[in-house]
Amino acid sequence: MREAVMTAVSLPRSPSRGPLNATHWLALLFLAVALVFAAVAWTTGNGFYLRLATEALIFAGLAMSVDLLLGYTGLLSLGQALYFGLGAYVSALVLRDGAPSFWLATGAALAAGALAGLVGGVIANRVKGVYFALITFGLAQVVAKAVYNTRELGASDGIIGIPQIRVTLGPLALDTADPLSFFLFVLGLTMAVYAGLAYLMDAPFGRTLAAIRANEKRVPFLGFNAWGHKLAVYVLAACVAALSGALYPMLRGFVSPELLFFHTSGNAVVTVIVGGVGTLIGPIAGSVLLTALRSVVGSWTEHHLIVVGVIFMLSVIFLRKGLVGALLPWLERRAAARARHGRRSAP
Amino acid sequence: MTAFPRTATPALSVRDLSVNFGGLQAVAGVGFEAERGRITSVIGPNGAGKSTLFNLISGAIRPTGGRVTLDGADVTGRSPDRMLAGGLARSFQITNLFFELPVLENLRIAAQILETPWRAVLPLGRSRKALVKADALLERFGLTAKADALAGNLSHGEQRRLEIAVALACEPRVLLLDEPTQGMSHGDTADTGELIKSLAGDLTVLLIEHDIGLVMSLSDHVVVMAQGRKIAEGAPAAVRANPAVQAAYFGHA
Repeated sequence: MREAVMTAVSLPRSPSRGPLNATHWLALLFLAVALVFAAVAWTTGNGFYLRLATEALIFAGLAMSVDLLLGYTGLLSLGQALYFGLGAYVSALVLRDGAPSFWLATGAALAAGALAGLVGGVIANRVKGVYFALITFGLAQVVAKAVYNTRELGASDGIIGIPQIRVTLGPLALDTADPLSFFLFVLGLTMAVYAGLAYLMDAPFGRTLAAIRANEKRVPFLGFNAWGHKLAVYVLAACVAALSGALYPMLRGFVSPELLFFHTSGNAVVTVIVGGVGTLIGPIAGSVLLTALRSVVGSWTEHHLIVVGVIFMLSVIFLRKGLVGALLPWLERRAAARARHGRRSAP
Repeated sequence: MTAFPRTATPALSVRDLSVNFGGLQAVAGVGFEAERGRITSVIGPNGAGKSTLFNLISGAIRPTGGRVTLDGADVTGRSPDRMLAGGLARSFQITNLFFELPVLENLRIAAQILETPWRAVLPLGRSRKALVKADALLERFGLTAKADALAGNLSHGEQRRLEIAVALACEPRVLLLDEPTQGMSHGDTADTGELIKSLAGDLTVLLIEHDIGLVMSLSDHVVVMAQGRKIAEGAPAAVRANPAVQAAYFGHA
């Protein structure tokens, strides 16, 4: 009898895909705007803004890693700078002392990020809620202080004099020293990471994370190991942060312990909340916005953090779902209207 | 319904199960067997330890003593996800759903366990078995029209139905239902009774229920608990006639 019901259903309904469909459009829009920006900056020969935009994209990767935990799994990490800084230091050391190879540097940073993420994840996932946040904060502080006090790692000065490198991509090659090509490269990489993560978050794995966020206690009674899923996404987030961090010394030519400090972790959380929690594209847009703001306001006053703080508070109060969260309902209404129109005009 | 021979291994067997909460003996040496394909009910006054018994069997709490066996295999103290892998699923007395997710998504997540693990990272459409299962359950539980509604926006009766549907999604062999009709209207209670009846046969059901009329009409076997202990068990009519049960459960009249 049950079998009969099951065969009668020939085409299963696909569960509604949430806001991801609309965010894909925002991602394409973002890509288009970024390319127009690159063209304008290139024709006007403005390398400064291209490098600033590249930095925004690098911190966008860190913000996406926070969003994986906060937006999709409901875990607040206050120490994501640990993995970002780790990636940056490993990449810097490989480029300076090893080989000036992009792939070797990012590969080593990813491996270090995965390993550190596994250790950090096992420790942090022993506890929940606010204690999880505090443990991630503590872990990052411990590592930051250790690096700050290690002379071999340059102590408070960090590591300087990292050579600019040539990135070979099959038949293509580009110089990190060239602002336009490195911007385009980082843009491509950021969008590829976005696409990969957006795909994974819409696959059953990501939806189980959403179930953990919604009601973690029920998840084991559906046969899932909630702890294993949380550890997996924690390691994934650490890898994304480490990959972003690996790009930093290629852009700036140095790394400093500041990359590991709470300032960096906290900024990433602010970026995610201003941009739109649980959207991935929101944190990218938020990173661009906040980087631009810091640069513009920073040219008037050194107290730009006051402005960022006020914007953060305003967005928490008035845009509960961030910039993208405010745009999405409009986009979805338009999509629904288009669908209705399409049905009417169909024969 | 053809009876399995008495010698067959019971689907679920509990022996001498106990747990202490800081000196309080919440469940003390409870033992019974749930025969395959039958409905076994656990009844008793409030605070008798019925829900704690369910928590012990489903792996939510580790017992301090005793054994739980599923189809003859010892599963005592296993975590809930490993219990489910062994074929045991449960519903909850207090509705325990993914309230901020759509109804269909609640069912699909619950049915995902039917798929091989690596399908978790493939596109959603590749988990066809789970999608078909979720769809079939929507239909069976009359929730098709509410597929896209958030579980938190359903009526109480609908949420109670979804609670059972979610527990069924993994195609368990043993199903623990903790007061499925809690807070339901009279009509819904009767419908749920019919539903539970239709589940037995394929499935071994262990039921906690306060509606004595429902228990008596549904159950093949009744276990009575009071103050953490089993005070009686047997066929519904025999249990109803038992003076100890009448004293503990129906009150000292």
